[in-house]
Amino acid sequence: MKYDCIVIGAGTAGLISALTLQKKGKKVLILEKGINPGGALSSFKRGAFEFDTNVFPMYGFGSEEKLGEKMFQQLDLQNKIKMNFENELFHIIVTETNEEYTFSKGIESFEQKMEEYVPGSMEVMETFFGLCLDVKEALEYIKTQKTTLDERDLLQKYPNFVQLAPLKVKRVFEYLNMPKKVIELLSVFCNYMGSSIKDLSFVYFANFVYTFISSGPCYPKNTSYEFVKLLEESFKEKGGVIKYHTKVNEILVDNGKVVGVQANNETFKTSHVISNVSPKMVYEHFISQENVPIECIKLENERILGPSMFTVFVGLNKTKNELGIEHTHYIITNTLDSIKEFEKLHQVFSGHLIAHVIEEQNTTQVVLTGMIYKDALKSFFTPDHYFEIKEQLEDYFVTVFENATGHFIRESIEEIDLATPVTYARYTGHPYGILFGYLAKGYDNLLPRMFCEDEENKIEGLRFCGSYGSRLSLFLDLMENANEVALKTFGECEE
Amino acid sequence: MKDIIIEKNSKKVLDNFQDLFVARNEIIKHASKKINTSEDEINHLSQILHPNKIEVVVKKIVEENSLTKSFYFTTEDGSSFPPFIPGSYITLEIHIDNRIYKRPYSISSNPSHLNEYRITVKKEGIVSKYLFNECKENDKFTLYGPFGHFHYNSLRDSNEVIFLAGGSGITPMKPMIEDLLIHKRVSKIDLIYGTKTVNDILWKKEFDELTKKYKNFHIIYLLSEEKRDDYSYGIIDESLLRKLEPMNKTIFISGPTEMYKSLNELLKKLNIPNKYIRHEIYTNIPENLGTKEYKLVIRRNNEKITIPCYENKTLVQSMEENHIDAPVHCTVGVCGFCKSKLIQGTVKTENSCLRKKDQELKYIHPCVTYPLSDIEIELPF
Ligand code: FES
Repeated sequence: MKYDCIVIGAGTAGLISALTLQKKGKKVLILEKGINPGGALSSFKRGAFEFDTNVFPMYGFGSEEKLGEKMFQQLDLQNKIKMNFENELFHIIVTETNEEYTFSKGIESFEQKMEEYVPGSMEVMETFFGLCLDVKEALEYIKTQKTTLDERDLLQKYPNFVQLAPLKVKRVFEYLNMPKKVIELLSVFCNYMGSSIKDLSFVYFANFVYTFISSGPCYPKNTSYEFVKLLEESFKEKGGVIKYHTKVNEILVDNGKVVGVQANNETFKTSHVISNVSPKMVYEHFISQENVPIECIKLENERILGPSMFTVFVGLNKTKNELGIEHTHYIITNTLDSIKEFEKLHQVFSGHLIAHVIEEQNTTQVVLTGMIYKDALKSFFTPDHYFEIKEQLEDYFVTVFENATGHFIRESIEEIDLATPVTYARYTGHPYGILFGYLAKGYDNLLPRMFCEDEENKIEGLRFCGSYGSRLSLFLDLMENANEVALKTFGECEE
Repeated sequence: MKDIIIEKNSKKVLDNFQDLFVARNEIIKHASKKINTSEDEINHLSQILHPNKIEVVVKKIVEENSLTKSFYFTTEDGSSFPPFIPGSYITLEIHIDNRIYKRPYSISSNPSHLNEYRITVKKEGIVSKYLFNECKENDKFTLYGPFGHFHYNSLRDSNEVIFLAGGSGITPMKPMIEDLLIHKRVSKIDLIYGTKTVNDILWKKEFDELTKKYKNFHIIYLLSEEKRDDYSYGIIDESLLRKLEPMNKTIFISGPTEMYKSLNELLKKLNIPNKYIRHEIYTNIPENLGTKEYKLVIRRNNEKITIPCYENKTLVQSMEENHIDAPVHCTVGVCGFCKSKLIQGTVKTENSCLRKKDQELKYIHPCVTYPLSDIEIELPF
């Protein structure tokens, strides 16, 4: 039996690619090494608690643009998932200087809050958001351009965008002559995105920040496992086949073309593979070396991996009120200097973390996430001390949260567990357990990736989706990308 | 938004824009061609900690008492076993009369000795009887794991802890208690170890030595079927528990099913919050099961198999009897490995360990599911 396409990995992106192709009438097989769909988006039970493994909020729902809704509609998920919408974007606590800032969703509300914190900032904030909108519109336009870009045409239609495209966040902030505090508060987003104002491309930043602020964060009520499970169900209902517990050994390539996939000692024929597994893993382990084009190896050698993370899942046997916790999403940072903080993300005990608080039936979950770059993990874990280190880290994260917020939670812990990069490696197989893909930096920022994607596909029939793909790892981008990759594969199937 | 001018020269604007891609191509052109061979230590560690399976050889068998034997395993290839947290269990796969059984056993050895794993088995069910009567040194088995969440956690659990063991429920507690004492992780440990008779007590000498060595470790040996000087008599009841001043102390419980049931009631009566109660996994067979026979249709990888099943047997038991290699690890509805979709039929099952969405979509854990009609399920793989 021959499949039109084989998708490797039932992560969110893999599922979306598979569904998209299937809806176009193609015969698709998904191979997944684990036993559940979702990859990084999942949930797990500990006692009475069910923890969502997706610690970053979804966004793009409930705003005017309805980007999330549109995406869900394409996937037939509209009205199937109950979302918890949150008004608060986040509460920033700066531990070195004891400053606190709270922002809520909505562009206007954000501008007003900023004006409150930095009087006289209204005008520059309006200009900033205006530019963000320009960027978004231009990106939308680019996505509709099927063939190669006509730069002159783009310059004419979106002159601001073309000027902004090569710039880093820092340069644009300077150009706008923003007050220092505004720069500091906005650059918290850069750290949130795992980068800093001097590395992050403005386009990528603007697109996310605008959508995130205007729509606000939301979380599937029944954890993001519900989301991936519905994708899986709908794929299976329409006759799609997923093989779980099936580890791919090799993508078979002949004469520069995909001819099949070998997994669990079985060979599946196909001319098209969409890999939810990173290019790094695929080129290093899934394709026999003589079949890996030299350009692919060269590209891999130049890329830098993004951050990995630690997440402590804490189940508390009290309500938020009893614990005295007011906010839902905390960013705890040492300073407001985004470059310095970014450097800190290269230490395990960075003092920089994100806390998400969920209340449910007399209990509260506090989920603490710290990003960490892989260099800091070199020889950090040893097999013999792994569990000991885990407990130390749990203690450390809880302590940082308690000290920053002043809320004492350790007495109320009913369940606690820590996901380390090792845990993420176990469930996703990503390099070093890194969920965010390659670092968005320099020539590996959003636009170069998008524009070079097709030309860099050197093996006929092989494409990539997921956080290591061309649209990076933010939720909406990743979903859109998975859809686009599938449509491109569909086009090739039809040829 | 009005037009901004960061760069006046429009040729330069276009050049800069194009540079985004040109630069990428240039960098790649001059990049190294060397294939990366550096080891991904994180993935490597994940494989050490969570191997797919472990092939083992029985190195030594020790008769602990007339009904209990310990089995010492080494790995077939001589490598060390995965590190584990004391209290963990492994799943042993065993082939008897062409049937494949998988059973969880607590690791009774200490994680500081990873050249061997020890399990301690009481002669009870089909598998343990087989182990007890038939298993010889040099026999080979496949293990899965280590698994489980029956552990001490320093952030969650109290500084003074109580262990309540019944019979062979002592097995996971042996390494737990040793670990806590040796590493001075708690300030006080009280163990109540209930058995039928003195002869049933496992590792008495070792435990007594520990109490001598560590002044903060106390044991009450509790016999239920034999009266002896120096031993307490009876079962764990309110007055005995109260003596240990159980408020705000973490209580670890491991023993036979009846013990959990009576202790759960007792702890509820004493108003002990769930936070302080840690259970080892255990089998909970529902009461009043019938005996009727039904049809069980199993879908697996596009194949359909039909076998008989019975009201008083779990679906996994029926699979075992019919030579089907069921995907199980814990066998008691906790780990989620056997999670299957119930396509048709009504069942009696325990689903508190299922995720909310799986409950909604009618998934079940066949290892704790009893049929009440003809059944059709889809196995996960
Ligand atoms: S085998 Fe663990 S839940 Fe069934």
